[in-house]
Amino acid sequence: MDIVEFREDVWGREVLLGVSWDLLWVVLTLSAVAIMVHIVVMTFLKSPPRPSAAGLHMERHAAVDRGFHWIMAVSVFVLLFTGVLPVVGVDFSWLTIHWVAGLILTAAVVFHTLRALFWQKPREMWVGADDFREPFDAGTKPGKYSLAQKGMHHAMTALVLLVIGTGLVLFAMIDTPWWNRSNALDESTLGWIFLLHGASTLGLIGLVALHVYFALRPEKRFYTRSMISGWISEDELRANHDPARWSPERSA
Amino acid sequence: MSAYDVMPDMELFQPVTVEDAAALAERLGSRGWVLAGGQDTYGWLKDRAKHPKAMVDLSSIDVLNGIEETDGGGVKIGAMTTLREVSRDQLIRARYGLLAAAAARVASPQIRNQGTLGGNVSQDTRCWYYRRGLSCYRAGGNICYADSPEGMNREHAIFGASRCVAVSPSDTATALVALDATMVIQNTRGVHRVAAGDFFVGPAVNITRMTVLRPGDILTAIELPADWAHAEYYFEKVADRNVWDFALVSIAAAFRTENGTIRDARLVCGAVSCVPRRLTSVERAVIGKPRNDSTGEAVAALASEGARPLNYNHFKAPLMDNLVRRALRA
Repeated sequence: MDIVEFREDVWGREVLLGVSWDLLWVVLTLSAVAIMVHIVVMTFLKSPPRPSAAGLHMERHAAVDRGFHWIMAVSVFVLLFTGVLPVVGVDFSWLTIHWVAGLILTAAVVFHTLRALFWQKPREMWVGADDFREPFDAGTKPGKYSLAQKGMHHAMTALVLLVIGTGLVLFAMIDTPWWNRSNALDESTLGWIFLLHGASTLGLIGLVALHVYFALRPEKRFYTRSMISGWISEDELRANHDPARWSPERSA
Repeated sequence: MSAYDVMPDMELFQPVTVEDAAALAERLGSRGWVLAGGQDTYGWLKDRAKHPKAMVDLSSIDVLNGIEETDGGGVKIGAMTTLREVSRDQLIRARYGLLAAAAARVASPQIRNQGTLGGNVSQDTRCWYYRRGLSCYRAGGNICYADSPEGMNREHAIFGASRCVAVSPSDTATALVALDATMVIQNTRGVHRVAAGDFFVGPAVNITRMTVLRPGDILTAIELPADWAHAEYYFEKVADRNVWDFALVSIAAAFRTENGTIRDARLVCGAVSCVPRRLTSVERAVIGKPRNDSTGEAVAALASEGARPLNYNHFKAPLMDNLVRRALRA
């Protein structure tokens, strides 16, 4: 199994083509194994009583942020499917759908970045020393986001920015309604761009698999509900968060 | 790039049944190469631009040869039937003169004696950057050498390019699409049929293949329905040479007329995109009109509408229009 794909050209030179898609099966297998191990461990761990969803509703995600999340989710799924299905042998006209979804994702990320920097509290997503006590001290509860959620967000941020950056370079290499394709980059540079684009795609596949799994876990499902309806209950807030570190408004 | 006088070393299988051939092709997968007449194959192999490990030669399979009438007035042509046989067969000439004319314009008499109908429609593109073994998109790479400011793209696509700008070089493909032919494909899972219009694949759908044939698939026959038998036909191929050359643009047209009025029409252009291009807007426009010069004049410009020529192939657009004029005038 190769990690990187090369091809010997007609002059006998090795040309870098990109990531080896054999790794797709490795990523899918590792993700499945990680999920199964977690399921087994959680089956044997005694879980605390689940907090009630009844009572006061506290706002966790504003409507605009939920909208961003689901737009981003749909565009990432479309990008992954349109990018990977042709690799595994499903033939369809994928390229236009792929770049349109890529532009939507780019616009959503720009919007989210501006909103997070100027209208939200970016410090809520900062990883501080207190966060590292959470896994080792049952008494330490997180603020708005747990260490795991922050880790997931930052890993996703890095991969999405990488996939967008490389995707925009590749976008310039194809015909679009606004320009004709450019041949500005040589084969070797394109090989590196494809390598980074493919590697970040593989990383996203693993992260998305884990993200979806945790979103469906029974003890985490209230977070998924909050990403749909916007609120968590007062009971869920007290059980999972430290009010001193995060005290949300009452939901409308 | 070196060209060699001898074939590279590889295994050779010569099955005598389609089932055995399909099983071999399935087992070998992308390491194998299905050989028909060899007119596309040997260039690849002698140039060492493709490196199959084994070859499945179909020439010993009798059922893949011949032309026979089918129930309902159609005709079935075995995929290994030579282009010479297709062009000279009385049944084909009488009922489907369009296909006979197209087959008669393929390459040269020597090649038509050896080349097969199945091979002609399944052959790979003739883009020289690709044929030379460069790692272009079609070869699994990340770049198109033909679609560049310096690229030699006189013979390339003006429609349907998606990163790759190669065109289908098949002369018979246009005629088969015009005649609503059906391609019969067999593999280890069974037999399935694909309309000729869906058999050819553009780069937007799959950039490394020209047809729906996957490793393990064998094109066994081409079926022509009675619908377009005995129609009025027109075939013309414009090339730099009259023999042993690929089309710059070709047209295959079939018309059903009634009292001098076109009741139904099929017009298909070759060598303008990666797949035979049906001129549906022209087809719609000519229905109900007489087949004459003035109709040709009126609809010709529709043929090249939406073309996106490359640096050196702008001539293909007016050439398409003129071929439509000539098809309607004839």
